[in-house]
This record gives sequence, C-alpha cells and structure tokens, in this order.
Amino acid sequence: MKDKRRSGSFNKRRLLGTEFYLFIFLAAIFALLRLGAADFYSLNNLMSTLNYFSYLLIGAVGMNLIIITGNIDVSAGALISVIAISVAFLGKLGLPWPVFMPLGMLVGAGLSLLNGLFITRLRIPSIVATLASTQLFAGILPLLVEGSIYDLPASFTWLAFKAKLGGVVPASALFALLVAASAMLYTRYARFAKRLYAIGNNAHAARLSGIKVDADVVRAYVIAGCLYGISATLIATAGQRVTTTMGSGFDFTMIAAVVLGGTSIAGGSGKILGTVFGAMILSVISPAMNYLGLSSDWSDAVIGGIILLAVIVGAAGALGRKRSLSETGVTEG
Amino acid sequence: MKKSKKGRAPKGLNFNLALLAILFALSAAIVALNPGFLKFNYLMNVVVKNIVEIGLMALPVTMIVITGGIDLSVGSIMILSCVAGGLAAHSCGAGAGILVSLSVGLACGLLNGIIVAKLKISALVTTLATMFLFRGLAKGITAGDSVYAFDFAAWIGNAELWGMPLALFLYLPLALLFALLLQKTPMGRRLYAIGLNPNTAKFSGIDVDRLLLRIYCLSGLICALASFIYLGRFTSVKFDVANSMHLKVVTVIVLGGTSINGGIGDMRGSIIATFIIAVLNSGLTVLNIPIDVQTIIHGSVLVLSLIIYALLNARMKKNRIIDVLNAKRG
Repeated sequence: MKDKRRSGSFNKRRLLGTEFYLFIFLAAIFALLRLGAADFYSLNNLMSTLNYFSYLLIGAVGMNLIIITGNIDVSAGALISVIAISVAFLGKLGLPWPVFMPLGMLVGAGLSLLNGLFITRLRIPSIVATLASTQLFAGILPLLVEGSIYDLPASFTWLAFKAKLGGVVPASALFALLVAASAMLYTRYARFAKRLYAIGNNAHAARLSGIKVDADVVRAYVIAGCLYGISATLIATAGQRVTTTMGSGFDFTMIAAVVLGGTSIAGGSGKILGTVFGAMILSVISPAMNYLGLSSDWSDAVIGGIILLAVIVGAAGALGRKRSLSETGVTEG
Repeated sequence: MKKSKKGRAPKGLNFNLALLAILFALSAAIVALNPGFLKFNYLMNVVVKNIVEIGLMALPVTMIVITGGIDLSVGSIMILSCVAGGLAAHSCGAGAGILVSLSVGLACGLLNGIIVAKLKISALVTTLATMFLFRGLAKGITAGDSVYAFDFAAWIGNAELWGMPLALFLYLPLALLFALLLQKTPMGRRLYAIGLNPNTAKFSGIDVDRLLLRIYCLSGLICALASFIYLGRFTSVKFDVANSMHLKVVTVIVLGGTSINGGIGDMRGSIIATFIIAVLNSGLTVLNIPIDVQTIIHGSVLVLSLIIYALLNARMKKNRIIDVLNAKRG
C-alpha cells in the first residue's frame, strides 16, 4: 500500500510536467489569438470549437483507459460510425431523444466487448484485433444503410440544438465536463483504475499478484465503448442527416489527443488531465489558424508536428531525468 | 546449426504452402463460379494492377514489423511523394518530378527512422504522428487541390510489357530481392534478432540503430516508388485519397503470418498474402459482390487467419526461440 502511494506521487510529479507544458502552450495560443485574432472569441466560434472539443474528449477518455492498460483501439472511428447510424435509425423510428444516448452507449459497449474478448481470449495484439474489427464494422454499415439516414425528425437534434445551458453552452460540453471530471477522480481513487495502471506497467506481474488481467482489460474496453456511445450520440444528433462515415479517422485523432497528453502508448502511465489538454490543443489548432489568417490547409501538418514534438520532448525529458537520477541520485521536480 | 535449419525449413515451408493452397483454392472457386476470371487480360490488368502499391509497401513494412516496429505512415508518404513529385514535374519537368518524389520519400523514411532508432520513441506513436504530418504537408503544399500525373508516372503506371503491366515487372524483382534479403542474408537474420529481443541483439554486436534507420529509409523509398505507379494509374491525386492504405498493408502482412510483436515472420508469406488479397478483391468484383460485402469478407479473412495464428503462435514462438538457442550453440 505504501509502495503504491509512493510510486503514485512520483508519477504525479513526473506527469505534472507534461500537463504544465501543455497548459503553457495552450495559454500561449489563446493569448496569441487575443492579440492577433480577437474574432476567435466570438461566441459562435467558441461554442463550435467547444462542441468539437467535447466530442473528441469524451471518446479520448475512453481511449485513454484502454491505452493505460497497454492496449489500443483503432476501431473506435468505425465504431462511432456504427453507433451514430444506430442512433439515427432509432430517430427514424420516431423514438424520443432520451432513449438515444443509453441505447447508443449499449451498442458501443456491446461492440467494444467483442473487441475486448477478441483480444483477451485469443491473445491477439490489440492493434491487429481492432484493425480486423474495423473492417467488419466499416463493412457491415453500408449493407444496412444506403450511404446515410436523412430527413430525420426535427426532434432528433434536440440534444445538439435545444439542450443548452443558459441558452449558450451546448449540452455536449456538460457531458464532456462530467466524463472528464469523473474519469479524473476515478483514475485517481478507484481500485479498478489502479489495476489498469498495474496491467499496463507489467501485465505478467499484475497477473501474478492476483489481478484478473483479462477481465479488467475487457472491462476497460466496455467502459470505453460506453464513452464512444456518448460521443457518437452527440455527433449524430448534430444534424438531420447521419452518414455512414461520420466517425472515420476519429480514432487516430483520439489516440493523438491521448499521446499528446503525455500518456505512454506502452501503457502504465498517463493522466486524464493531460488528455483534456491534448484534446483541447487538437480542437483549437484548426480554427485558430483560420482566424490568424493562416491557411487552414496547413493545420493537419501543424497538428502532426505538434504531436511529434510533444512526444520527442517527453522522451528527451524522461531520458534526462534518468541520467540525473543515475548520476547524482537527486531528481528535480 | 544443422539441427536448427532442419527444424525451421519444413515449418516455414508448410505455412507458406498452406497460404499457397488458400490462394489456389480461392482462385479455383472463383474460376468455377465465373470462368471469365481466368482470362489473361483480366488477371493482369485487374487482379495484379490493383495491388501493386500495397504489395510494394508490404515488402519493407514486413521487415519493420519483424523488428517489432510498424509503419502507419506509408500511405501518407506515398501521397506526399505523389503530390510533391507531381508539382515539381509540372514546373520543372519529369526529371525533377522523379528526383523530388524519391527524395521526399527518403526524407520521410529518414525522419521516421531517426525518431524510432535514435530517440527510441515507439514506432506506433512516431508513425502515427508522421502519418498526420505527411498528409498534412501534402494538403498544405497543394492547398487542397488535385495534382495530375506527369509523363514518367503515367508511363510507369500504365505501360505494358508483353501484355503484362510494367508495374508487375517492378514488383516481382523487388519481391525476390526483399525475400532474399530477409531470409538469406545476415542482415535479415539480424532483423529477426532485433524483433525477438532488441537488447540481446545490441549486446551481441548488432548495430540496431543503423539497421532500423536503414529499413525505415527503405520503406520511405519504396513508398516513393509506389507513388509513381499510383499517380500514373489514377492520373490525378488529391491529398485525401488512399486513406486506409496503412491498414491494408498491415492486413497483408498479418495475413502472411508475420507476428505484429516482431521476431516471427516471412517475406514469402507477405508476398503470397498480397496475391490472396488481390485475387479476393477482383474475384469478388467479378462475381458482382458489392464492395461493402468485400470489406466484410476482408475483415473475416483477417479475423479467421488471426484465430488460426493465435492457435499456432505459441508453439511457433517456442520453436523459434529454441532455434535461436541451437543456432547460438552451434
């Protein structure tokens, strides 16, 4: 118990660094925008950026849990498309809005459960297993639907357009806040979350110390599936037409948010707060460049560059710390 | 040494024979349903042509996967080479286009290699980031417009030799070369060693960094080569095409029996798997099966092969380790 606490505080101190730099970077972007493009702060743009940030963050939190266990999910984009279409299907049936999200979460949890079982039962590396299920999800979709479901009733978009806090803040932001806050508390205090870190650090050792590794990994996938369900429901209800490719490519954006937030892809480390900042940077870059008068054609390149830079700086920092540890036995905060 | 060879050869042979059997069974089934498939013209122009780029990229990426890495940026490198080469060719002639394409490919591979080998960042993360970066650069330099093929690309993508696409004559020697390089040279053996245990490889005198750097560069160069064929075949290329190229390449490699964890694999498997996917693709098209069902069938093939490999893998890995032990003793 004591050991765990000590390593926990060491982790925190180490990762506070990453989050701190990300925060500084974000603050710099916002300050730059204040000076160079005050239009960015128009309510309309802020809210649309916030919307995208919320979709991304909710899914990325799920992805973060999976990555903490040392696994990955590249099928999330296809999965979100499947959920979005399922939700649209329910909407077409004329069901009221309150059923969308629970059923979306159910679909997400179910399909993600399949992923988890596929990985743990057959001992297939997660990247390959989810690669295979991506093709299944993406292939089944167009069979069920011809390109898109359209002419959805106006009530379908209630969640995106009518449900606003104080008439301004979209409901998606509330969901994102709720998910991020509970995930932060959860990863910090819940035993299950500690087990996820243990599995990511050394799955074999975790198994030997009595953790049911497979069951916990499957559980992480199911939770992530629920979160994809929330994200997908929000994405789907943002319009009266839902296409079959709504989530494609979203998986890698989510992974990018997690990696940018300082979570190691090898598993065993990472804080939700970092992912929050990572998702925020990814969702701000494109509109920011637009408002600063730079061509948004370059935004993908800039995002790629930032991820690469963040990863390199993170690795260099870890190396430097290791060196200072071995040479002097003193660590800097 | 002798013992290990005996132990290994028939096993690898069996595995590839199984893949070959699948290839022939698949072809036979499709021919039985639609004899038109067997026409030489169709075989060459549809079956083979559609897979050449993926097949080419699968060669170096197989090596990368065997070292325990992965290259998700191949599609992006190809597109960046396409558009950069195309733009250069239209302003300064085909020679410049070729040169720019190849150097862009090499530079991209070099960047991947430096980050993976020298900075020790996981290949998955690195190539994920560069996947964004390279495609973003392609978007940036074209400002979102299409780039059109130039003479050389059009020629290499569409020319025929004895009724067979020229691209095939590019692919086959390269496939042979890569197979020999991986299976028959010390370099190939070293790649396996790195995949099994990079630390052991390093301490047994292998220059791990340089080897990794080399194969990522190779991957970039081959992507540039594939970019000529791609640009020629489609005459115009936009930054957002070939989005799932990396997934298709990995599918081919995994189907070919290479373990994504590294250390286990076979170039011949990847080559046969390339043709299996090619036959599957065009066979399903010739049978008038809609493209969406084809995706499902792809996925199912991959899932099925994964399940079979999962059952075989544990044993194979154990044998491989014993082989290495024996080789060391011998």
